[in-house]
Amino acid sequence: MRGSAGGKWILSALSVVLLVFAVGCAKKELVKSTDTASGAEAATPPPVETQAVPQEPIVTETMKPEEMQTAMAGVAATQEKPSQFPDIHFDYDKSFLREDAKPILREVADYLKANPAASILIEGHCDERGTPEYNLALGERRAESAKTYLVSLGVKAGSVSTVSFGEEKPIDPGHDEVAWERNRRGHFVKK
Amino acid sequence: MIRSAGRLLLFLVLLLVPSVSGAVLYIDINAPGGKRMPIALPDFVVTGGDASLARKLPEAIGGDLAMTSLFDVIPRPAYLERIVTEHFSGRRLSFPDWKMIGTEAVVIGQVEVRGDQMMVEMRLYDASLGKMMIGKKYTGPASQFRKMAHKFANEVLYAFTGVRGIFDTEIAFSARPEKGKGKEIYIIGLDGSELRQVTDNRSFNLFPRWSPDGKRLAYTSYRTGLPQIYLRNLADGTDRIVARYGNSKSPGSFSPSGDSLYATLSVEGNSDIYRVSLAGSGVQRVVGGWGIEVSPSVSPDGKSLAFVSNRGGSPQIYVKEIGSSGERRVSRAGHYSTSPSWSPAGDRIAYTSFMDGRYSIYTVRPDGSDPSLVVSGNGDCLDPSFSPDGRYLVYTFRKNGYSELKIASVDGRWQRGLFKGLSAAGSPSWSPRR
Repeated sequence: MRGSAGGKWILSALSVVLLVFAVGCAKKELVKSTDTASGAEAATPPPVETQAVPQEPIVTETMKPEEMQTAMAGVAATQEKPSQFPDIHFDYDKSFLREDAKPILREVADYLKANPAASILIEGHCDERGTPEYNLALGERRAESAKTYLVSLGVKAGSVSTVSFGEEKPIDPGHDEVAWERNRRGHFVKK
Repeated sequence: MIRSAGRLLLFLVLLLVPSVSGAVLYIDINAPGGKRMPIALPDFVVTGGDASLARKLPEAIGGDLAMTSLFDVIPRPAYLERIVTEHFSGRRLSFPDWKMIGTEAVVIGQVEVRGDQMMVEMRLYDASLGKMMIGKKYTGPASQFRKMAHKFANEVLYAFTGVRGIFDTEIAFSARPEKGKGKEIYIIGLDGSELRQVTDNRSFNLFPRWSPDGKRLAYTSYRTGLPQIYLRNLADGTDRIVARYGNSKSPGSFSPSGDSLYATLSVEGNSDIYRVSLAGSGVQRVVGGWGIEVSPSVSPDGKSLAFVSNRGGSPQIYVKEIGSSGERRVSRAGHYSTSPSWSPAGDRIAYTSFMDGRYSIYTVRPDGSDPSLVVSGNGDCLDPSFSPDGRYLVYTFRKNGYSELKIASVDGRWQRGLFKGLSAAGSPSWSPRR
């Protein structure tokens, strides 16, 4: 009738009972009082509590018509923008300008000096390695080091702005050294 | 005879073991590899509505309990007794039948759905004592049936361990929707069900962080074309911009009181950590320096910050007491350590570190001692976030552009996938308790 679990119960129960007997007559009261308690509890089981679970509180945003214009800028931010200048590239986890970036930056500086009304947005990008939040800050630093160099070449600071996209906008979808090198970049967009 | 002997034994055990807030400690939650509690979860009684709930509810509870590695769910085919509605109106369970299959606990339930509302009564019995340990009735929208199961699983865990469960918590994260190149914020249940989209603006929406009351999410959005920190009210879907100062911005961590946000703001290319008041518009720099300072995570007592700085030449984790000038490095090994998450008990900091050619999750004491590996895989493990009970971490697993969210116990012995339905899923953040 009973399984091995029952057998184990008997054994362990017996050993505890023996232990309790060894302790002496105090045990009898101990057991009795718990029996009384168990009887009392059986007569009045814990009450079944009722709890209300509210409606799902999470609402997806809805866009108002007047927000659509700025939303377009948000969508546009996810798309690669054409540039008349080549990208500059950076070493892994570094934001200093490499020598191969400087001729490109001089080209950008010459353009801005020749066109005083023009302004440029420098996008800083990172490869996919590492963590996204750190990469956002790293991309910022890359864009800013390009800006600092442009200003040192005589470009008005007010005509250059920066934005970091961290690792969110790879130009090369690959996952190897070649792709990573292409994706660690500064990208120049005319505003 | 056998039953009374077993009952006697259990009562003696109950007398010997201290209780926490009235709960009996049957299981020591901090003793890995200890005895597991065998539990049976027979089909619920459905008196009206969707008959599939008879199994979905106990399965949800069983899945939650299995996650703890403290319970063994006895397989259903072994069960000898069928639960009927009379069991909720006075009929006694046949406890010998439950003991015979080796279980020590039985959860029974009864569901009634009326229209879009439902009521579920759930009970936990101690099969040895033949005694009800918990009885709860939950009422609410029928769509919330999983939430009700998770809440009862919390009760079951509490009854056996004295530790409050987290089964009704959720994870916020960012991922690429099926259309477009942007990323949206999503929320998913801890059991991997009930995926919901929070943002829908088709730009980049990144780095969600829960407020301490679980009612708001701070996150970075490019919805105007430039990164700004927004504060989303989850109940009504409204947003507001939190900080206008600076260029790139990412929310790091709410203060424990929820009245301010420790955030990374970049000013002229220099990323520093600021405390942003959410009531007014005050912005105060907390951590500065010439390098990149990013990713603040506040200690649960609100007195210290863990953060990332590359001031030593590579990104590493530092800790500072807020208001003091002292800042100490706590990550030692690896040439890249980022994304700290302070444990709810305050005793550990989890972070990402690059070692042996891959990114892995480690924890360390706030004084920098006792670094310990949590998870390392055949790919990269990134961006850990602690569960509110401090026993688990949710993190991003990435390999060759593939990305999913996973959960691991803090000792690394247990791991499970959480979500892999969308590409580029990442930056998970665990909600507070509900």
